[in-house]
Amino acid sequence: MCSVGDDNLEEKTSKYMEPVPKFKLDDNKCNKCRASTPCIVLRGKDAYCQACFLSGTTHKFKAFLGKHRFVYPNDKVLVYHTEGHPSTSLLHFLRSGLDLSTPKKLRFEPIVIYIEDKIDLSSEERSDAAEFIRKQVEEYKFPLHYISLCDCVKKNNKVAECLVDDISKLSIGDNDKENLNQVLNSKANTTNKRDILKIYKKTILIEAAKHLGCKVVFTPELGIDIASQLLTNVSLGRGIHLALDVGICDNRDEDVKIVRPLRHFEIKELAMYNHFNRLEVVAKKEKLENIYSSVQSLMKNFVGGLQNNFPATITTIVRTGDKLAMEKSLEDNPRCVLCRGPQENRNEELTSAESTSFSHWVSTRSPQYSMTPVERYEKSLESFSVAGDSPYCFACERLSHDLVVS
Amino acid sequence: MSGLNITIEFGGGAELLFGNKKKQEVILPAKEGEWTLKDLIFWMKDNLLQERPELFIQDDSVRPGILVLVNDADWELMDTVKYVLEAKDKIVFISTLHGG
Ligand SMILES: [Zn+2]
Ligand SMILES: [Zn+2]
Repeated sequence: MCSVGDDNLEEKTSKYMEPVPKFKLDDNKCNKCRASTPCIVLRGKDAYCQACFLSGTTHKFKAFLGKHRFVYPNDKVLVYHTEGHPSTSLLHFLRSGLDLSTPKKLRFEPIVIYIEDKIDLSSEERSDAAEFIRKQVEEYKFPLHYISLCDCVKKNNKVAECLVDDISKLSIGDNDKENLNQVLNSKANTTNKRDILKIYKKTILIEAAKHLGCKVVFTPELGIDIASQLLTNVSLGRGIHLALDVGICDNRDEDVKIVRPLRHFEIKELAMYNHFNRLEVVAKKEKLENIYSSVQSLMKNFVGGLQNNFPATITTIVRTGDKLAMEKSLEDNPRCVLCRGPQENRNEELTSAESTSFSHWVSTRSPQYSMTPVERYEKSLESFSVAGDSPYCFACERLSHDLVVS
Repeated sequence: MSGLNITIEFGGGAELLFGNKKKQEVILPAKEGEWTLKDLIFWMKDNLLQERPELFIQDDSVRPGILVLVNDADWELMDTVKYVLEAKDKIVFISTLHGG
């Protein structure tokens, strides 16, 4: 009998990892200074006092920037701002870093961008949300630019034409949702729609950065977002772009780098950071989503469960993402016209994906019986490799069927 | 015996579940035995909550993703739902649910 997976082990408990046990405080002292009374528990085990927690959080942010050196003095940095805790913490990290009078002061120039994409809310709620953002960013004294995702998609991604710096010029229309859906195939599933909109938003950030003279974009993804993106990428056939999509820096564009400076934070740290600093957070109107409606929400839910019960696993996934690098041989490959990542290497031998599309292609052609079967095969393969020169990478090729315009 | 006077605050969007009020002073009615945080959560569900309960409560506690602070300290330091309320306590509920 096969013994693999036989569970007649004496220690039943060792079969599965145990969720983090309920927190128990030994001596009611901060883990770091060993003096003050703690006010926060992180990862279900480490207790810190307010002063140690706040200085540790700020230090973690600055250490990330210091270690990787993406930004040089006087560089302009585009900051992607949105609702919720992470974005607010990011603005506060930047403002307090810039205002320091010590040598550790940050020395670059942030420019904030807000992408209006709340097509599921009413026009009024969307205007209110944008107005909240305007007031908030004004308090931090950063310049703010707005762009409507829908507007941008309608105008064929001509980002420079759609950027506005005055909220009254931000277009918010009742028909935005229909307009946006028009560029997508009505049969497109939620997974593909979300994937496409995500790519569009990334394109907006890169193009807006160029237009505004920024070499670097900061986006507010947390560790948990990185982890679910990593698993989503693998599920959607975007494995080759993992290093770009979840790594420390996305450098698929030659001139603009996308950096994720909050990748080593968890949401609790930032929510508490905002609370202790009395920062006003723009609330996100939440719609309860069916977790089975798309690969992305399924992954988000799965990773959310890990975060609650096995927080160390998230760290492991993110640290794995940190170490990923793109295969060198891909660097000079033609770029995918949708996601702009490098395309896969084209081998002499067909890959399994190519074989599938080859058999689809060959079976929709009428055979020429004047040739021998071997000649027919060789001829078909030859003309296939010409016809098969897709402008897309493997994952976007699949998405491209859902784009009405391209 | 008179009721228990406490302050409840909301942040991060949790206020949207409670009529968009960020701060409420409440008097919990006198009852037999002590008021625990769990009692408070269920009292809030019956008396203050203006949205569907599943947006606030899950099982016998708040929904994962809602942080709770007792007098500005993480409730994980206070035995969470078993914490016994005292007069003038400040309880803060912060939503951390963020979209992707
Ligand atoms: Zn301390
Ligand atoms: Zn692509």
